[in-house]
Amino acid sequence: MHESNTPLIRLAKRDAMPKGQVWAIRGASFLVAIVISALIFLVLGNNPLSAFGTMVAGSLGKPTAIRQTVKIAVPLLGTALAIAPCFKMRFWNIGAEGQITAGAVGASYFALFWADKLPGPVLLIVMALAGAVCGGLWALVPAFFKARWGTNETLFTLMMNYIIIGVVKWLQGGPWEGRPGSQIIPQFDSAAVLPKVLGVHCGWIIVLILTVAMFFYMKYTKQGYEIAVIGESENTARYAGMNVGRIIMRTMFLSGAVAGLMGFVVASGADNTLHSGVAANVGFTAITVAWLAQLNPFAMVGISVLLGVLDKGADTLQTQLNVPASISDIITGIFLFCMLGCEFFINYRLIFRGSHKEVAK
Amino acid sequence: MKKRLLAMLLAGAMIFALAACGNDTADTTSTPTAGTNAETPDDGTETKTVKVGLICIGDENDQGYTYNFIRGKEAVTEALAAKGITVDWQVKWNIGEDSTCEDANIELAEAGCDLIINNSYGFEPYMLKVAPDYPNIEFIACTNQASWTDDLPNTHNAFANIYEGRYLAGVVAGMKLQEMIDSGEITADQAIIGYVGAYSFAEVISGFTAYYLGAKSVCPSVTMKVQFVGSWSDASAEGNAAQALCDAGCIMISQHSDNTTPATAAQNNGAFHTGYNNDMISVAPDSSLIGTRIDWSVYFEYAIEAVANGEEFDQDWCHGMDEGAVVMTPLNEDIAAAGTAEKLAEVEEAIRSGELQVFDTSTFTVGGAELTTCLALDTDGDFVADSEEAVFDGAFHESYFQSAPYFTVQIDGIEWLNSAY
Repeated sequence: MHESNTPLIRLAKRDAMPKGQVWAIRGASFLVAIVISALIFLVLGNNPLSAFGTMVAGSLGKPTAIRQTVKIAVPLLGTALAIAPCFKMRFWNIGAEGQITAGAVGASYFALFWADKLPGPVLLIVMALAGAVCGGLWALVPAFFKARWGTNETLFTLMMNYIIIGVVKWLQGGPWEGRPGSQIIPQFDSAAVLPKVLGVHCGWIIVLILTVAMFFYMKYTKQGYEIAVIGESENTARYAGMNVGRIIMRTMFLSGAVAGLMGFVVASGADNTLHSGVAANVGFTAITVAWLAQLNPFAMVGISVLLGVLDKGADTLQTQLNVPASISDIITGIFLFCMLGCEFFINYRLIFRGSHKEVAK
Repeated sequence: MKKRLLAMLLAGAMIFALAACGNDTADTTSTPTAGTNAETPDDGTETKTVKVGLICIGDENDQGYTYNFIRGKEAVTEALAAKGITVDWQVKWNIGEDSTCEDANIELAEAGCDLIINNSYGFEPYMLKVAPDYPNIEFIACTNQASWTDDLPNTHNAFANIYEGRYLAGVVAGMKLQEMIDSGEITADQAIIGYVGAYSFAEVISGFTAYYLGAKSVCPSVTMKVQFVGSWSDASAEGNAAQALCDAGCIMISQHSDNTTPATAAQNNGAFHTGYNNDMISVAPDSSLIGTRIDWSVYFEYAIEAVANGEEFDQDWCHGMDEGAVVMTPLNEDIAAAGTAEKLAEVEEAIRSGELQVFDTSTFTVGGAELTTCLALDTDGDFVADSEEAVFDGAFHESYFQSAPYFTVQIDGIEWLNSAY
């Protein structure tokens, strides 16, 4: 190839990198994120050391702080687990936000209208099931269209989010409204509230069980294997006699059901009511969590806790050092950007013009 | 790759080193200091410090609801400084009406606040989950109403009789309309007010009814149309609602929503306007006559001073013009009707002295008849008022049994264009 025709930088797929080097890059990206955040603190006129100290102390320093951090991490982890099988199948479900909301609607229906008719534990189980079924059905709609007519699942699942959020807004101002004109659905009866274990609603136990379950499902079951095959090549799956459409719908139902269960956990455990922001962008952030963890359920635990620490820490930062509230988003964004960005350098390498020797090698 | 890594690490190390050097400067003041309520001797006189948490639904950029709280915050800090009380504020901005509000309350409680103020109606249920765990901290939910039923001694509600300010704004609007009728500019039945409301919520209904009654007291032929927008703050929807009202023949616009777009829409249509929360004369100088707002510093001063002195304070506080908790923004003398300022002073004095009742039942009818009975409070949680007769001594007593407004009657002369919200 002639020198002048070569672009300044080219990309090439890397061969598998040694494990140690991979982790070195990841560690470095984390450091870079810390350095950039430190620069931002400096620009804002705060000492980066005390800022990071405040963040860690604010998110992990006290039992109450740890509880709040866990509370943030729970739905993130659960939803990342929900998304994982879809992504493994290369079905881009970005509708977890809506599936969480749909699940919350289902659970809230029983919390609001069946609290006096069902005994406590039964009520919670019915709410959980209703949440899972509603979330699953909400996810099944785009899956059905994809399996039947090959529609674009990315756009479809995204649009479904806005529909269900609109439905909740209507419920809030209409049939389920509490005080007239308030746009607020009343707080649930105490029987419909998830009990606390160690000071946090027991959603954290549910997601930890789900983590293990999802790991076994994806790794050791026939269905998990089918998902992996479709993700690698749909044609191979078809050739092997798998009913691809059926598997897509089944997996999406499962994914939606787990997300819907998270909707139940958030509505019942954290908010004790239903509102249009019940999913609070968790459905989108969870995509990042799943991706960063490379769809490994156990890695997701660490990453969702890390995001919880960043989120809660930045919140404390705002109160104690009077930095702007949006700093939380900026810092979280920097960390995600660096951590996602480093995966790029793990998978690809840059070749600069003139570095022939390296290419020749 | 490795070289670049090293460079990055080096850069990182340098920044940390830099930061460590900067540590010795003024930055240290921003680190949280322990020991609230500590009495520090200062030249012989004692100053008290109260750590106050404030949880806001928006931030000061809204130029409306939260901005009005921040004005109160700044005014009270100054007022209490003069009394030797230092207020150490910890403010949480843009908090949602969901479990993040619970977290914000916990966060402020853990940070050592002595008093935590929640500024939005929807915050109260979350505040009530935190309040029992911190019996030594006083919690305030502005505009809400649970403190008299929750059995917690450390929860409080507060609101102001903003309907008094609405009534006065209505008087200003009515005088302008009457002047236009008298000069032959419009006929008597063209005196129509358009009102942009957020939701058909008691606070809004109470406000526009008071406004209408104020206008009617000086312009008997006035009628009003109300358009609800379905949001407390949605600039374009509010502007569109005001435009629709102007198109429907309204020549005077008022609002219970956060933005200034109704004022500009009124000005573009040659209509007049009265505002809320903020002085809107600067955005609509040819149209905006006056505005009204709650001065939260009055309540804040009362509550914070009580906490500083270790005294109890009312669990349900509501005052109006009697204590200066409701104030009028400056009157736009250039366009207001002649004699407005004098009339305004006269009516304000009548309200202050209690001689004039805003919801005087002889001044309005409901379905053609006088209002003789209307219950105020809901005690069993079904959101239907079931106790305390609010109509007595010839008037409906708003904010009498609790601070949060409870007037929800649809009176004659006010047409609701949509009640979906």
